[in-house]
Amino acid sequence: MSTRTDTPLRSHEEIVARVKALEALMIEKGVMTTDAVDRLAEVYENEVGPQLGAKVVARAWTDPAFKQRLLDDATGACAELGIGGLQGEDMIVVENTDDVHNAIVCTLCSCYPWPVLGLPPNWYKAPAYRSRMVREPRTVLADDFDFTVGDDVEIRVWDSSSELRYWVLPQRPKGTDDMSEAELAELVTRDSMIGVGPAGEPSQT
Amino acid sequence: MRSDASQLAEARLQLKTLISDLPKGGPAEQAFEEPWQLRAFAMAVAAHQEGHYDWTDFQSSLSASIRRWEESGQQSWSYYEHWVNALETVLGSSGALADPLALNDRTRETMATPVDKDHHEAHREPVAVSPATR
Repeated sequence: MSTRTDTPLRSHEEIVARVKALEALMIEKGVMTTDAVDRLAEVYENEVGPQLGAKVVARAWTDPAFKQRLLDDATGACAELGIGGLQGEDMIVVENTDDVHNAIVCTLCSCYPWPVLGLPPNWYKAPAYRSRMVREPRTVLADDFDFTVGDDVEIRVWDSSSELRYWVLPQRPKGTDDMSEAELAELVTRDSMIGVGPAGEPSQT
Repeated sequence: MRSDASQLAEARLQLKTLISDLPKGGPAEQAFEEPWQLRAFAMAVAAHQEGHYDWTDFQSSLSASIRRWEESGQQSWSYYEHWVNALETVLGSSGALADPLALNDRTRETMATPVDKDHHEAHREPVAVSPATR
């Protein structure tokens, strides 16, 4: 009994707004809770996307010229690998070194480089992460993510907006000299590209 | 902050059953491409789990929307646009979305005020720095 048989296809902007509006209405009416929607979404959020970012990171680890292009112009370097899709929005990749560790946040909402990292995890959108990560990043990383950054390392936190989105180039783990680009990509986790964890260690075989 | 692994595994199993019998091109076969698609997906499952409609009703509404698209001869295809159509249809039937105009109004409002309306400015310096202490 649809009343919408002749509705033309909508613009991208309109469908995004319609889904938001529908969620807001349903929650106001008590049809469902935000928590329930979040929990269901969480099942999928790690299945999409981060592999694309992982490919880019593995390329940067193995190809110094590519890495330089990535740090100079992340949007362009990702496009070389056929990765992108944000319209008119810039990405900047910040590199972790022995002296500097980077992490990303969106202080106001949930801006996130999703064409590269997939869908943002729920905690990224939560007010707790958004405010505490700015106030006490070292403590948040240690307490919430079990990730201790040495006190000889500076931590920089970058605020993504809808105009400019950051993500992190993690350090290449030690003992990976013999690994192929594809093997390296498997070590790159979503969390390491947000900056709340290290890249994985190679398994001992 | 995060759900534990066993909760996720259980939810995953339930979802697998729900999505196994949907029209082609959906979540069982293809990854979500954009955040709104996942949101719409999760909303439909959540409202069903809250008992607002049978999943079979949702499935047939989805098939019906896709069939109308096929008959209309339109070119551009968006699986999750049909998904949203189907969700509106079943919510309309259940009475949860009794007034379809309310949704149109809210959609227009949402378009007029993006959530991140204050967040268009690029921030080119770190928003916080925790210096090395040694």
